[in-house]
Amino acid sequence: MTLNLLLRRTHIYLALFLLPWFLMYGVSSFFFSHPPKREDGQSQWRVRFERPYEIAIPEGADLRAIGTRVLQEHGMQGSFGTYRPNADKLHVYWFNFWNATEFIYSAKEKRLLARDHVFGWNSFLTGMHARGGFEQNSVLSDGWGVAVDVVCVGMLIWIATGIYMWWQLRPTRFWGSLALGSGFAIFLIFLRAL
Amino acid sequence: MFSKLIRRTHMYLALFLTPWVLIYALSTMAMNHREFLKRFYGENPVQFEKESEQVYSGTVPPDATPKQAAVQILRNLNREGAFSVQGRPDGEQLTIFRQHPISPQRIIYSPKDHKLVIEKQVFNSATFLERMHRRRGFQHDYGLEDTWAFSVDLVIVAMTFWGLSGLWMWWELRATRGWGVLSLTAGVALFAFFLFTI
Repeated sequence: MTLNLLLRRTHIYLALFLLPWFLMYGVSSFFFSHPPKREDGQSQWRVRFERPYEIAIPEGADLRAIGTRVLQEHGMQGSFGTYRPNADKLHVYWFNFWNATEFIYSAKEKRLLARDHVFGWNSFLTGMHARGGFEQNSVLSDGWGVAVDVVCVGMLIWIATGIYMWWQLRPTRFWGSLALGSGFAIFLIFLRAL
Repeated sequence: MFSKLIRRTHMYLALFLTPWVLIYALSTMAMNHREFLKRFYGENPVQFEKESEQVYSGTVPPDATPKQAAVQILRNLNREGAFSVQGRPDGEQLTIFRQHPISPQRIIYSPKDHKLVIEKQVFNSATFLERMHRRRGFQHDYGLEDTWAFSVDLVIVAMTFWGLSGLWMWWELRATRGWGVLSLTAGVALFAFFLFTI
């Protein structure tokens, strides 16, 4: 196999393998760029319960450990994040691609509110788009993180192999140079002037 | 002819949008490894340093909204452009975050003593990439911002087009159909597996 053929085949097969991710990132980006307005006044959350609850949150505590305990005490496990907007509140956000539940603990009132996210295609796609990282204690979650990295590397490979394949097509060099050059020029203008 | 049109559009569009794709690939990787990058940039990678301090010679009407006050201050400073604002012009202080791809600024206005403190964000590549990744939408009142938002929309349309036109071009290459079907099926299967397991 020649280098030329290897680069061409890598471009195609990598694209075919990563097509679901690529299309997902493309379509979901639309919802970030054009967030739908909620005019019906309906909340995206449905309260599951609100009840007295007490858990110690010492200064400088490991919030993930506390989050794990809150989830375990409510029979849940899986991916989650924690957020402490102020000294009183602690948010524990549990999620998978389809569902999300948020626990909001108030240290002052010693109460816990649990609410479930109402499913919507918008949040389904944007949630999938935003998912990444290696913070969860789950091999499968880390696997998704690796897939995200592969998509990024794939995009870099498509650029490199794409430019290589374009350069081989002599009749397209003029218009190709114009497209590539004007793209970089406009991008640099944005960097300076935005 | 149709096939050639699809191939040329696929290629020229990709060449034109190369910088955008490059920035989205690098920024996604940086965001995917945010915890790792904290080792280099610390827990709070967004740091500001003072650029200047001055007395504000203009007058902000006390009944102005935060947005109106911010627009006026930015105009007087010759720094008009996309921003967000916190606080009230009749309160303790008004903080304006002037967005910029490379050097965002924080402008703090104290109405009591008419003082303006101008700070600039210390540059680091991770926050620069994330800023570029997140910049989008038509919510600002500036033509250039809308043009950037339009370019982001163009990337969105292009990504969908590259996916579909790529399928078309692959199917035309008979010799690649076997391995291609295998790659596509493996990708779809793995994606579906993730969808229902994590």
